[in-house]
Amino acid sequence: MKLIKKIAVAVATVAIGVSALTAAVPVQAKTNSVTYAMYGDIKDWDPSEAFSLEVMMLVNVYEPLLWYNPPGSEQQFTPALAESWKVSEDGLTWTFNLRQGVKFHDGEPLTAEAAKSSIERTRKLKKGAYYIWGAVSSIEAPETHTLVIKTKEPAPIDLIASSQYGAYIYSPKAAEKGAEWFNQGNAAGTGPYTVRQWKAGQQIVLDKNPDYWGGFDESNFERIYLKVVTENATQVQMLKAGEADFISLVPADQVDSLNNEPGITAKGVPSWKNSQFLINTQKAPTDNKKFRQALTMLWDYDKVVKEIYAGYAEPGKGVVPATMWGHNSNIKTPVFDVEKAKKLVDESGVPADQRKVTMAYIGTSEEYKNSALLFQANAAKAGIEVELKPGKWGAIWKNAKDLRTAPNLQSMTWWPTYPTPNDWMIGLFRTEEKALFNLSHYANSAYDKLVDEGAALEGSDRDAAVAKYAKAQKLLMEDATAIFYADIKGRVAYRSNIVGLQSNPAYAGIFFHRLKRAAQ
Amino acid sequence: MLVYTGKRILTMVGILLGVLLVTFVLSRILPGSPIEMMLGHRPTLEQIEAARLQMGLDRPIIEQFWLYLVNAFQGDLGTSLRTGRPVLTDVLERFAATFELVTLAILLVVALGIPLGTICALRQDKLVDHSARGFSVLGVALPVFLSGMILQMLFYGYLGWLPLQGRIESDVLLDFEFPVVTGFYLIDSLLDKNPVAFFSALEHLVLPVLTIAIASLAVVTRITRNMMIEALRQEFILTQRAYGLSNWIINFRYAMRAALIPMLTVIGLAYGYMLGGAVVVEFVFDWPGLGAYVVGAITENDYPAVMAVTLCFAGVYLTVNLIIDLLYFLVDPRLQKA
Repeated sequence: MKLIKKIAVAVATVAIGVSALTAAVPVQAKTNSVTYAMYGDIKDWDPSEAFSLEVMMLVNVYEPLLWYNPPGSEQQFTPALAESWKVSEDGLTWTFNLRQGVKFHDGEPLTAEAAKSSIERTRKLKKGAYYIWGAVSSIEAPETHTLVIKTKEPAPIDLIASSQYGAYIYSPKAAEKGAEWFNQGNAAGTGPYTVRQWKAGQQIVLDKNPDYWGGFDESNFERIYLKVVTENATQVQMLKAGEADFISLVPADQVDSLNNEPGITAKGVPSWKNSQFLINTQKAPTDNKKFRQALTMLWDYDKVVKEIYAGYAEPGKGVVPATMWGHNSNIKTPVFDVEKAKKLVDESGVPADQRKVTMAYIGTSEEYKNSALLFQANAAKAGIEVELKPGKWGAIWKNAKDLRTAPNLQSMTWWPTYPTPNDWMIGLFRTEEKALFNLSHYANSAYDKLVDEGAALEGSDRDAAVAKYAKAQKLLMEDATAIFYADIKGRVAYRSNIVGLQSNPAYAGIFFHRLKRAAQ
Repeated sequence: MLVYTGKRILTMVGILLGVLLVTFVLSRILPGSPIEMMLGHRPTLEQIEAARLQMGLDRPIIEQFWLYLVNAFQGDLGTSLRTGRPVLTDVLERFAATFELVTLAILLVVALGIPLGTICALRQDKLVDHSARGFSVLGVALPVFLSGMILQMLFYGYLGWLPLQGRIESDVLLDFEFPVVTGFYLIDSLLDKNPVAFFSALEHLVLPVLTIAIASLAVVTRITRNMMIEALRQEFILTQRAYGLSNWIINFRYAMRAALIPMLTVIGLAYGYMLGGAVVVEFVFDWPGLGAYVVGAITENDYPAVMAVTLCFAGVYLTVNLIIDLLYFLVDPRLQKA
């Protein structure tokens, strides 16, 4: 043991020596900064291509025409680069009046031409979320600060313009330099922060944009550190020590214990992410509607959200999350009932020896795995054998698209690109000639008609659109196209002295300009 | 010896080609393609098809491999699907980070392990020997992630003496930036005459280096001990004792030399082991090295990155082996004649 002691002493000596030396170095006056621990780095710096973790940088560096407000707000939008906007009677022409005197980070002025070229470049590149602009037929800039967007069919350009991906306006000079320039960690938006530094795999540093049109006061953060910290345990230690103000990995079973730590706030927040098991409507035995309905009754909705999701989810009420506009709250949802399910299975006419289904899900997800195991046990009580097929997303997705290899049940977690219920209804269930995400292989022309009409009405008559969508959601439930089992809550953990955090399910980023640090 | 070295290098190229082929074929026949990962959460059919053509995934595997080789010889290892940067840039940058870590660790292991093992051999079955053996068992038995986390909790969480993660302090990286020359932060900051960055980098190296060293120190100590004991039992040692040579000369001039060859082998192996073990350490300490990079690349089917890292690891391993083999000649001149 002597030896271990000696080694411990040696280690300690080195440690003290090193820290003493470092401490001796003069440190500059502390900038008013905030640190966010990200679990991965940024890949696509080009705002036209970015479609992932970039959102944390995007919402602080760039601005779209409009920001979407959290559900329950008085106004649906906050003007960003557009001060006012209107849509023509026929819903085909959108006119945006842009804010005057706004400059991009490279000094270029914000004009309608600049906005036009940003959106057109996104459409032309066909990368990331370009498809949100699918309905657009032309973009014009009749005056320096007037932007006119025309569409082939009526489309909710206000919602689309507030998308968290694919709708940011950037300097035309930067666009000329292309994706390669962006991908060296460059940016030229109009947002409150500019990109100061990017060290791949280590950190991104954003500094205050002194020319920001929205202004800065003394309490605003002047600098944002986005640090790459891949491990949950490390993130938690940094949060506890105050080295990080926000962490991105907050497992459901740690929320309570983190919240009990002094100086830390951890909680669930609304999100528009939901999880379901899509039921294949064309493959035996799930091509049988009664059999599918039976499956939806063999899912223990309450137990799954309470125990497997540790309370950070609500049982799903249809395909559209309950906090998204257009959600049909009058829908009748299936209830966990083995006896009723048994009866339905018998009525279905599926012979006893064919009551077998396959169930595919992403194998690394504990939530999917445990939910599937529970379902397997419950289905067995009703005489249905469930074969589990965990795998990597790439592999299971490929199988599910092809009817020959598709499973009967396929895991799917979904969230919208811009705030619209049709993202789910069209993305997951509209008839597809070649399956992409309609992994239920659902084909129902009445349903298609409803969602198409709803989509066309979104821009001009949102109430009428909601009515169409309500019917469509009811159809999906009656046809038992999926086990809609969880509206997932987002989870946040941050230092309690950060004030002003308002969670907004429309954006997976934090608006640091709106936050302050309370005096201790 | 030159001929020997030349032959060895030729063999190395052959092995590397073999490794590349196996990795290439394996990565492509495993289920799942990288396209889903690179296009974000909602690609359109059009995007999927465009990406497939762009990556040449529609061609036969052999043709794909040939194209890969042709490009590789021109220094183009492709673009990472995950980071969007040229793989060569990624790998060089990250290799330097791993290399700095592992090299310091091996130096530490050699500097501590050989004297420690020798002492144990000379004090066989005494207290020192027993405690060293106990420590060895502990070092080998403790998983790297666990010892890393224990060190973190102790020196960061409890004592607050050392940083938790990363290669350097955020502020230092921002305000005391230095040009990247070798990729070793310690060397680059010295070249830049930048003490702030140097000490910050040093401070960040302590815990991960220790974590790697703990696991390998045990092995090197044990082997040194055994080899020394073995050597001391040889008849020529007995002869030298009979001649009345001093213990010092016997131990360090003759016995040590005899024990050196197997020790070199072990150190070479330990080096390879550390490169592998670094994966976990890099995760625990958020070290922006190759280990953490390759894990991400494998889980997301980032073909070009997986290929480049495999090439890099295989190359390093082979080179270390070659160097060790050449060192044999230095240690034992008799081998040159053979």
